[in-house]
Amino acid sequence: MTDAYIVGAGQSDFGSFPNRSYRSLFDDAFDEAVETVDGDFDPDDVDEAFLGTLGVGGRQLGLSGPAVTEHLGLHGIPTTRVENACAASGYALRQAVMAVRSGMADLVLAGGYEVMTDTSGDHTKWWLGVSGETEWERLSGTTFAGVYAQMASAYLREHDDATVEDFSRVAVKNHGNGAKNPHAHLGFECTMEEATNAPDVASPLNLYHCCPTTDGASAVLVASESVAAELSDAPVRVSGAGAASGRVGLFQRDSLTGIPASATAADRAYEDAGITPEDLDFAEVHDCFAIAELAAYEDLGFCDRGAAPQLLREGVTDPDGALPVNTSGGLKSKGHPIGATGTGQVVEVFAQLRGDAHVQVERPEVGLAHNVGGSGGGVTVHVFEQVEGGEL
Amino acid sequence: MSGDADGSGVGGRRGIVATGLYLPQQRLDGDEIEAAWGTTVPVDRAAVPAADEDALTMAVAAGRDALGRWDLGADDVAHLAVATTTPPLEEEAFAPRIAAALGLDSALSTTTATQSTAAGGEALLAGVDSDGPALVVVADAPEGDAAEVGQRAGAGAAAFVVDDDADVVLEDSARESRDAPGLRLRERGSTDVSELDITTYERETVRDTVSTVLGRLVIDHDAVGAASLQQPTGDIPHRIGKALPYDAAAISSGTVVNDIGDAGAATVAIGLLAGLEAVDAGATVVAGFFGSGATAVGLGFEVNAPPEPGVGAAIAAGEEISYPEALRARGTIGDTEVAGGGAHVSLPSWQRTIAQRYRLVAGRCPGCGAVAFPPEGACPACGAREEFESTPLSLTGEVVAVTAIGQGGAPPEFVAQQRRDGPFAVAIVEATTVDGDGSARFPAQLTDCDVEAVSVGDVVTGELRRIYTVEGVTRYGLKFVPE
Repeated sequence: MTDAYIVGAGQSDFGSFPNRSYRSLFDDAFDEAVETVDGDFDPDDVDEAFLGTLGVGGRQLGLSGPAVTEHLGLHGIPTTRVENACAASGYALRQAVMAVRSGMADLVLAGGYEVMTDTSGDHTKWWLGVSGETEWERLSGTTFAGVYAQMASAYLREHDDATVEDFSRVAVKNHGNGAKNPHAHLGFECTMEEATNAPDVASPLNLYHCCPTTDGASAVLVASESVAAELSDAPVRVSGAGAASGRVGLFQRDSLTGIPASATAADRAYEDAGITPEDLDFAEVHDCFAIAELAAYEDLGFCDRGAAPQLLREGVTDPDGALPVNTSGGLKSKGHPIGATGTGQVVEVFAQLRGDAHVQVERPEVGLAHNVGGSGGGVTVHVFEQVEGGEL
Repeated sequence: MSGDADGSGVGGRRGIVATGLYLPQQRLDGDEIEAAWGTTVPVDRAAVPAADEDALTMAVAAGRDALGRWDLGADDVAHLAVATTTPPLEEEAFAPRIAAALGLDSALSTTTATQSTAAGGEALLAGVDSDGPALVVVADAPEGDAAEVGQRAGAGAAAFVVDDDADVVLEDSARESRDAPGLRLRERGSTDVSELDITTYERETVRDTVSTVLGRLVIDHDAVGAASLQQPTGDIPHRIGKALPYDAAAISSGTVVNDIGDAGAATVAIGLLAGLEAVDAGATVVAGFFGSGATAVGLGFEVNAPPEPGVGAAIAAGEEISYPEALRARGTIGDTEVAGGGAHVSLPSWQRTIAQRYRLVAGRCPGCGAVAFPPEGACPACGAREEFESTPLSLTGEVVAVTAIGQGGAPPEFVAQQRRDGPFAVAIVEATTVDGDGSARFPAQLTDCDVEAVSVGDVVTGELRRIYTVEGVTRYGLKFVPE
């Protein structure tokens, strides 16, 4: 079995682009990914593509994957559209890693795309809601913000020490990072006061505790060891791949304050990589709502249950802390183009491990990306490592 | 014309053995309407149904109240008689949904009385005329132009279990029918009740029809301690009473329109509950139902032991709302059709889960005993894929997680409701099984509550409410009201 390596990663601008098509946004992402390839890249060498999307607002439910690769000029390559809600491209990356590790492919394109902001507010909400548990959860009148807000209410009840200000700390930190990311959707800083006094979306979560609805695309080139050696001076090894499913409805799960599938996926990724959370130098975690970042710290083993607020208050996850989290700005500031988010996180991890990040962590060697579908129905966790000595 | 309702003699004297009542929580003070319109309003207060309430949900609430006060079970009901002038749809039976929500036997017979405010009397007679225990439910929520009938529109529901060997015996009943249209009508396709306001014609017709039908009852009219007479406004019963030997106090004790508003077919039925509650044992109570067209039903009861439906307490309870809030709740202002449609849960999918949506029927794993809700798929605990044994959850449970969905944040299928009812709370509720062995969680919308005041740990109880309407079909299900 060959290891899988990232040899290029890029993204389009994330934001609101009602005049762009999902195909043209993916062109941008692909072009940027190709620019990061150190060697001579020939598009004809791409063997296969796995592309994640929730369904681009319903306008192309079938065959949007081939529509993208044909538009891109990767004529004829097998393209599979991957759907696992907000974890669609985390799973697309997993497929690409499996294809390379199995030996079936040497160079695989993994990516994602979503266009959400060109339809009416009602249509967008309808479309966003289709990945919740429909028959019960959705028909109780809730939304994704509502489900995460329910988690937040249970978290505040279970951990006396936690406060709404801890949710705001996530926003302040991630906006601080995102303000330096030229691709970010909401690339501006915010103060604790702004992040605490914003209008409620779904109490206890306010506007600053929720990520935006974003258009965008991201692309990652996954290569076998031999191809990586050819194409890259500093490839990034996918050293751990973990994934897990969970009950789609929050009410169906034992834990209301964490995401069990995140914990399982992380365990699998750590085992695959042969590391523990202590070995991580930074992480990109799925902060669709502020409570999700707190839950991620605990689910991924960064701290004990109930200790996530402490990490935020002590600055442990700040860029200069012991374990920086979401240096890209996270979903909160960088944006959350559903299908593009998972591989979008890899764009940041790739940049960090090659020393090219906008908010650069000091000499990182091991990073993690954590991508959650819905409120926890499907999760991927990938561990990435610098190749010793840089080159293969 | 006089009928003998003393029963066949086989099972003893037939009458009311249990009563139930439901009034919507919201109350609109007449002063609010007077201030808005600069006019005198005919009622002191009116009960205003919430956006997720209608005649069907109120019928279920009153029916459940009556069944809870009866010493037999829902399974024992042999006949369901329902009455309303405001069925949720102009065509389609709505008694079956009430029966399903109350857990009645699917083999029972049903009658539905509608199309006039006399329907309440017709349903009571249908219950008396049936064999075995009958549940009679009268529920109504009339609407009208905000400057006219809408100024006194109220809402409410009364329920009666009718059986042999009753404490409240129907001594006699009578009917009257005559050609007298135009007193209260609603044109096809309209939701607004209107009146011609031909004052003398209307008063005379109501007075003469109702007093005639009551005069026909073979009862001791001097022993009448309470009378619930046709009461679109508070003065009409007293006008009718002038032609009858009842004193003003007896008429007042059966008059509720000033407190609940004009609740259509339900007003006289709720007035009957108030009258039954007001008298001492041994008294006679009469009810005089009238329907424009015209028809009248007179009922005379001998009260051997007065029931305690709690009308006074229910009237005293409730929460005052402003006039704009009432107009919103009724959909008079702000009603909307939302683009994008509702969630794609097909009607058959919804119907497949009716036992869960109406009565929280969960499943117990035959292998490990774990409780699953909804009872489908593999056992959440042991993973076995065996058929679950039915085990109902208590309709009262505890909030374990909760949020408030603010204006603008609702999924499209709840936007119309939110326009009318404002922000709503959505919780995950945990309830134990009725047998006490285990519990399960389910997501639930909360209703009739201050969304800001709801928190984890609150105890909530389920009530049937409108969930949402898509393609003309309203989905009903349980929502939860904090204690």
